[in-house]
Amino acid sequence: MGELRRDPVVGRWVIVDTDHPKEPRDFKYEQNVPSGGLCPFCYGNEFMTPPEISCFRDPGTASNAPGWQVRVVANKFPALQIEGDLDRRGLGIYDMSNGIGAHEVLVETPYHNKDISDLLPQEIENYLKMCCLRAVDLKKDNRFKYIMVFRNYGAAAGASLEHPHTQLVALPMVPKNALEEIHGAQAYYNYRERCIFCDMLRQELQDKERVILENKYFISFCPFVSRFPFEIMIFPKQHSGYFCHMSTEEIAALAQILKTTLAKLKKVFVNLSYNYIIHSAPINGDIGVEYYHWHLEIMPKLTQVAGFEWGTGFYLDPTSPELAAQYLKAAE
Amino acid sequence: MPELRKDPIIGRWVIISTERARRPDQFVGQPKAQEDPKACPFCEGKEANTPPEIYALRPRNSTRNGPGWDLRVIPSISPFLRVEGDLERRGNGVYDVMNGVGAHEIVIETNQHIANLADLSEEQITRVLNCYADRITDLEKDSRLKYVLVFKNYGKGSGSTGIRHARSQLIATPVNPKRVKEELAGARLYYEYHERCVFCDLIKQELSQKERVILDFDGFVAVTPFAARFPFETWILPKQHCCDYTCIDAESRKNLARVLKAVLLKLKRGLNDPDYNYVIHTAPFRRQKVGYWKTIDHDYHWHIEIMPRLTKVAGFEWGTGFYICPLPPEDTAKFLREVEI
Repeated sequence: MGELRRDPVVGRWVIVDTDHPKEPRDFKYEQNVPSGGLCPFCYGNEFMTPPEISCFRDPGTASNAPGWQVRVVANKFPALQIEGDLDRRGLGIYDMSNGIGAHEVLVETPYHNKDISDLLPQEIENYLKMCCLRAVDLKKDNRFKYIMVFRNYGAAAGASLEHPHTQLVALPMVPKNALEEIHGAQAYYNYRERCIFCDMLRQELQDKERVILENKYFISFCPFVSRFPFEIMIFPKQHSGYFCHMSTEEIAALAQILKTTLAKLKKVFVNLSYNYIIHSAPINGDIGVEYYHWHLEIMPKLTQVAGFEWGTGFYLDPTSPELAAQYLKAAE
Repeated sequence: MPELRKDPIIGRWVIISTERARRPDQFVGQPKAQEDPKACPFCEGKEANTPPEIYALRPRNSTRNGPGWDLRVIPSISPFLRVEGDLERRGNGVYDVMNGVGAHEIVIETNQHIANLADLSEEQITRVLNCYADRITDLEKDSRLKYVLVFKNYGKGSGSTGIRHARSQLIATPVNPKRVKEELAGARLYYEYHERCVFCDLIKQELSQKERVILDFDGFVAVTPFAARFPFETWILPKQHCCDYTCIDAESRKNLARVLKAVLLKLKRGLNDPDYNYVIHTAPFRRQKVGYWKTIDHDYHWHIEIMPRLTKVAGFEWGTGFYICPLPPEDTAKFLREVEI
C-alpha cells in the first residue's frame, strides 16, 4: 500500500509509492549532453552579454574581457526590470503592478562543460561567495522584498543556455511559496516556540535513513515528504534565516557538501538535468528570522508534472525518499 | 515594461514578460510522430490486457470486458492509491502519515485509436462528460473520500505515457488537496467581503473587456486568464453559477462538449497539436462538518482549466510559485479567436 505523507511546514500531501517503488534504472529521462557552439558565457565572448555587474577576475585583466573566475551580468532577457516605480493598481477585480525587480545571471565558471560537481572546492567557494555578495547588495534596495537564487541545469530543467549558470531574481513582493513556508513555520513557532526546520533536522539526524551526507555545518537528506523522486535538501545545522550571512568557513562546508551531493546524484543518474533553489527569509520586511531557516532544494528532472499535480498540488513520488537516500549514500 | 499580475482567486502573482517580445506563432510545434496502434492496450478487442472494467457504455447484447463498447472506465494499471484498507492517520515525529487509500481510474474515451479528444464527435465528448459526472457521484458514496480530480494528460510533454489513445483520469483522494483548498478559501474570502462569486464577477468583467475572450456561446465562455501562468492557458467557465460539476443538466453537458471541442480544436489547429493538460475544478464532497460548507453553493464556481505544455517549468517557478508567462494572455486570446475551426 502507498503512503500519504504531509509536509509539516506547508501542509502539502504527497503520495509515496512504497509498494512498487521505482528503482533508478526504471527512470527514462531526457539526458543532458552539451553540444557546444557559440556561447555568450565563454571566454572571449564577454561582449555578447550585458556589461558585468560584479566579477572575480585575475589581477590586471580588464572588465568584460577574459581572465575571470565568476562573472555576474544582467539577464539579457530580464523577466523584471530595475528602473521605475511599482505603481500597484487595480483593474476591476484584478490587481497588478509594474514588473520591477532585478534579474541577474551568475556565470559560475569559464568552463563550458563543467557542472558544479566537476569544479574544485575553491572554485565552488568563489561561486557561493558571489551569490552571497549579490544578495547582500540587492537587499539594500528597499523596493525588493525577496531574493530568489535558482539554478536550471540542462534543457529538461528549463536552461536555455548550456554553460552552467545560476540566476538571481529580486522580487517586489514575497512570493506565494515562500509565504506558505513562512506562515507554516510561524504557526509552529507560535505553538512550540521552536523552529520547525530545526526540529525536522533533529529528527532526520536521529532517524538517519534519509540522510545522505553530513559535515560540521550542513546536512543533506531526502525529505520525508518528497514531491519528486530523488529530491534532496541541504540545510545548515545552525539556525539561520539568510544564506547570504554564511561565514567563510560555512561557505567552504557548503561547497563540500554541495559538490559531493551533486556528484552522487549524477553518479546514480548520468547526464541528469536538475534544478536547485535557495529558500531564504524575506528581506526589508518585518518577517522574523527566528522561525525561518534557509535551505537549498535540489529537484532532479526524472518525471514530468502532469494534470493531477497541477489540479491538486498533491504530488506522486514513485521512489520513497528512504530508498532514494540508500542509493545516494551508496554512490561513490 | 513587464507587468506583474495577481490571480484574483488564489492570490498567485505572475510576471507577464514583454522583454523577449515573443509572438504567438513562435509556439507552433512540430507534428507528432505516429506509433503502431497494434501495441495499444486501450483499443477495442484488447480488453483482456486491462484490469476489468468499472463502468462501460455498451449495448445490452455485448459482454462485460468484451468488445462492442463506446466508452470504458478501468482501474489504473499502476495506481498510486488503492480502494482497499483504512486510512490510519498517524504521526511520525514532526511528520504526518496515512495509508494511501483512494481511487485511481482511467476513462477510455473511444474504442478507436484516436489520440486527441478534439477529434472525437460532440456526441462522444458528451458521453465522456457524462461519465465524469457518473463516476464522481459513484465515488462520493465512499465516505473515506473527500475529493475527485478529473484530469487529462495529452502528449508526452504533459506527463502521459505516450500511448496515443484518448483517455482521461480520475483520482479520488482521502484529503482535500492543497491547491483545491486555496481556491475554495480565496473564493470564500471574496464572497465574505462582496457577497458575490468571484468567478461570476470575473466572467462579467471578461465579457465587457472582451480582449481575453476566445469563445462565448451556449452558456459557456472560454477565456485566457488575466494572470495566466502559461502561454495559451485557457479556462472554460459556465455562465450559470454552480459550484458542482455533477449538478449540471444533460443539455448543459451537450453545450459544454461543443465548447470544449471548439477550444481544443483551436489549440490543435493553431499550435499544431500541442501537448496539454486539462483539469476540472469542482467543489469537494460536502461531508458533514458543521458550518464549513455554508456558503460554498454561492461562493464557488466550477470550471475547466486547460494548460498547453509549451514551456518548461524551471527553478524559479518551483521556488517561488511565481510564474513567468512569456506572452500576454490578450495576445494568445486574439490568436486563438482567429484560428478557424
